[in-house]
Amino acid sequence: MVMTATVREDVARSEPPRSAGRRRARRRTYLWSYVYLAPMMVLLLVFVVYPIIASLGYTFYKWDGIGDPSDFVGLDNFRQIVHDSIFWRSLGHTFVYAAFVVPIQLVLALALALVLNNKKLRFASFYRTLFFLPVVTSAAVIGVVIQLLVSNFGDSINSVLLKLHIIHQHVDWLGDPHFALGIIILVGIWHTFGYNLVYFLAGLQTIPEELYEAARLDGAGRFATFRYITIPMLRAVGVVIVILAVIGTFQIFDLVQVLTSGGPFFATEVVNTYIYHLAFGGSNANAVQPDIGLASAASFVYGVLLIAFSVVQVVVLRSLAKRRGTGGLA
Amino acid sequence: MSSRISRRTLLRGAAGLAGAGALAGCSSDGDAKGSKAATTITYWDWYASQAGWVDKEIKLFQEANPGIAVKKTTQVSDKYADLVSLAYRSSNAPDILMVPKSPQLSQQISQSWLMPLDKWATDSWQGRFPENSFVEGVDVFSGKVYTAPFAAPAPSLQLYVHHGVFKDAGLTNADGSVKLPKTWDDVTSAAEAIASKSGGKVAPFGFGNSTNTTLAWWLDLFVRGAGTPGGAAVGGIDGMDYRVGKWTFGTDRNYLDVINLLLEWKNKNWFYPNSMSISDEQARAFFERGRFGMTVGGVWNQPEWTKHKFTDYSLVTLPTPSAGDPKALFYGPPGGKFVAVNAKTPHADEAWAWFDWLYSPDAGRRWVEQGQGLSVYAKNNDPKSVTFAPFAQYVAMSGAAVVGPQPTIRNPKVSAVQLPGVKPDINDVLAGVYTGQLKDPQAALNELTDKMNQALGDAITKAPGVSAKDFTFADWDLTKPYTTKPGA
Repeated sequence: MVMTATVREDVARSEPPRSAGRRRARRRTYLWSYVYLAPMMVLLLVFVVYPIIASLGYTFYKWDGIGDPSDFVGLDNFRQIVHDSIFWRSLGHTFVYAAFVVPIQLVLALALALVLNNKKLRFASFYRTLFFLPVVTSAAVIGVVIQLLVSNFGDSINSVLLKLHIIHQHVDWLGDPHFALGIIILVGIWHTFGYNLVYFLAGLQTIPEELYEAARLDGAGRFATFRYITIPMLRAVGVVIVILAVIGTFQIFDLVQVLTSGGPFFATEVVNTYIYHLAFGGSNANAVQPDIGLASAASFVYGVLLIAFSVVQVVVLRSLAKRRGTGGLA
Repeated sequence: MSSRISRRTLLRGAAGLAGAGALAGCSSDGDAKGSKAATTITYWDWYASQAGWVDKEIKLFQEANPGIAVKKTTQVSDKYADLVSLAYRSSNAPDILMVPKSPQLSQQISQSWLMPLDKWATDSWQGRFPENSFVEGVDVFSGKVYTAPFAAPAPSLQLYVHHGVFKDAGLTNADGSVKLPKTWDDVTSAAEAIASKSGGKVAPFGFGNSTNTTLAWWLDLFVRGAGTPGGAAVGGIDGMDYRVGKWTFGTDRNYLDVINLLLEWKNKNWFYPNSMSISDEQARAFFERGRFGMTVGGVWNQPEWTKHKFTDYSLVTLPTPSAGDPKALFYGPPGGKFVAVNAKTPHADEAWAWFDWLYSPDAGRRWVEQGQGLSVYAKNNDPKSVTFAPFAQYVAMSGAAVVGPQPTIRNPKVSAVQLPGVKPDINDVLAGVYTGQLKDPQAALNELTDKMNQALGDAITKAPGVSAKDFTFADWDLTKPYTTKPGA
C-alpha cells in the first residue's frame, strides 16, 4: 500500500500540466471551498479579530465608553492591572475553578459514558438526553434557580446538615467566602458535564468491538480491557476533550455573574467578571464610572497569560505523547 | 446515537421555540394597548415598584392626548446606565428617559444625549416649581434647562420595624403599641429581646445584599444619626463631608463605631444568616413574613407590602448613639433630576408633552397618594391627606431631609469634574469586613479614604478653574438647610 501510493505521487509529480479545463474545474472546487468558508471568516473577523485589535487601542486610553477616547495614558492601564490585587485574586479563582472542574468533570463524564455505552442498558437515549439537558439550559436560568433554591431553601438545607452534624452553624452558601466558590464549582461541573459525556461517548463508539472480543477471548477482565484497550484508544479524543474543557473553564463568566456577581468582597470574582465589572461600572446597583481602557488592558493581560498557558499545555502534552511513542498530540 | 430528527420534527421544534421567544419578548415592555395614536413615543425608566404609578399616568396621559401613545420599557435598575449608553451608541435611545446616574449629567449633555428644553420650559412653566428648583450644574447647564426636580428632599433610608415580631418579643408600650427604637442602644435591646424570646427562630435583623448595596444602607442610616453628613453613598461626589471637602471614612470615628456595632450584632448571630446572598426583594418578602424584626430600606418598600396587604409595621429614621435629635440629616441638592428628552428624538413636542405631564402637580399628587414618595410641590405633601399610617410616618419625617451645600452653585465649572470610580468602594469594604475577609476595618477605611480623596484631587487637576476649596463649606450647620451662594 505504501509503495503504491508513493509511485502514484511520483507519477503525479512527473506528469505534464493537465488540460486547462481540469485546472479550471479544480479552481472552481477550491473557489467553492472559499465561498463556504467566507461567512465564518467574516464573523470571525468582525466579532473576534476586530474587537481584539480595537480593544488593544483602547488599552492606552482612560475612557468610560462615552464618546471617543481622548485621554491618552500610555501604559498606565497595564501598570494598574499588574498592581491590582483584585486582578490576581480573580486569576487565582479562575485557576481554582479550572483545577477542580476539569478533572472532576472528566472523570465523572468518562465513568458515565462507560455506563451509557453499554448496549444492554435500557433507555440509554433517555439518560443521555437527561444528562445533556443542563448543557442546553441557559446559565442565567440555572443561576437564578440555584440562587433561589439556596436562599429560599437554604434554611432547610442547613437544618438537615446541622442535624447530621455535617456543619456546626448555619451557612450562607453563596454569601460566605468559604463556600461560595465551591458552590459555583459544583454548579459548573453539573452544567457543562453533558458536553464531555457526549464527547467520550463518541470516542467510545469509535473503538472496534473486535478488540474487546479478542481481549475477552484472551481472558482479560473488565479492568484490563479498560486499562489496555479503552484508555489507549481514547487517548486522541481525550486530549482534545481536556483542551476544550480547560478552555471552557477559563471562559467562566455567566454562572459567577448570576450567582454571586463576584462577591462577597471578590471572593468569587473570576477574570471575566472582573473585566466586565471594570468595563460596565461595578458589580452593584450604584453608579460607578466604567473604565473601558482598564478593562481592555485586563483582557489583554489575561489573553497573554492564557496564550502562555496554552503553549505550556501543548508542549507538555507533546512531550508526554513522545514519551509514549505516539509521536503527536495524541 | 443513531437517532434521527425528521424535517417535520425540526420545523415543529423551531416553531415552538419561535412562539416561546415571542412570548418571552412580550414580558418586559408595557405600551399603549390597542392605541391608534398617530405618534408613539418611547419612554425608559427603572421604576419597578413604582410601575403602578407610571402605568396609571400613561393611561391618563393617553386619554388626555389621544394622538400620542407612550411605549414604556422598564429596564433593570443596576444595568440602566449601561443600557442607556449602549442605546445612544447604537442610535436606539428612547424619545424620553429617566436620567441615568452614570455618566454625570454634564457628560450626558456634552455628548449631546439630551435636549435643552428652553423652548417649552419657559419662565412661567418654571414658575410652578418651588423657588431654587432650577440650578446651574444640577438641572441647568450653560443656562439651558435639561431636566427638573420631581421629588422633595426626603429621608432616603429608614429602619423598618415588624410589629408582629416586636409584640411577640414583648417590645410594647403600656398602651400596647410597639416600642419603637430611637437610639443605637434601643435597637440593640430590641434585638436582644427578639433573639431571646424567639429562641433564635426569628432573626432580629435582616437585609438582602446580593447586589452589594444594602449593607451600606445600615452604615449610612446609623452614621448620619451620629453626625456624619456624608453617609455611605457611592458614586459621584455624594458621600463627601462638605465641611472639610473630603471623604472621611477613615478619620470620622462614627464609621468605625457603626461597623463595630454591626460586627457585634453579627457575632451574636442577630442578622438573618442568608442576608449576604439574598436580594433586597427577597429580604423584603422575608421581613413581611416575620423572618426578622428589623430591616433598613426606603419608602419603595411600602407599595409592594401594601399590595400584599402587609401593613403591620412602623418606620423610624436616623437612630442616634444616645438620646436626642440626630446630629446630621439627609441632604439633597436644590433642584434635581428625573426625566429628560433625547436630543435626537423625532417627536420632540410629543416627548415634551409627556415630560410636562410627569412633572404636573396632579401627577405629583397621585405619586404621594399612592405612597411612592414626596412631591416637589409642597401642597401635595400634607400629612393630613395621607391615610395610610406607615406612609404618614414617612411624610411626617420629611424634616429629616434638607437642602445641603451644592458646589456647582458656588462654581459652575465643578460640573466638569469627572470623578472616576474607586474600587473597592464602601460597599465592598463593608462586605469584606462583614464576611471576615478584611480583618482590620480601620485600615480598610483609611485606604478607601485615601483613594477617594486622591481620585478627587486627580479629577480636580483635570478640570480648569476648579479647586479643592470649591468643595469645602466650613460654615455648614448639619441640622439646617444650607443656602449655597454663587461664587462664595
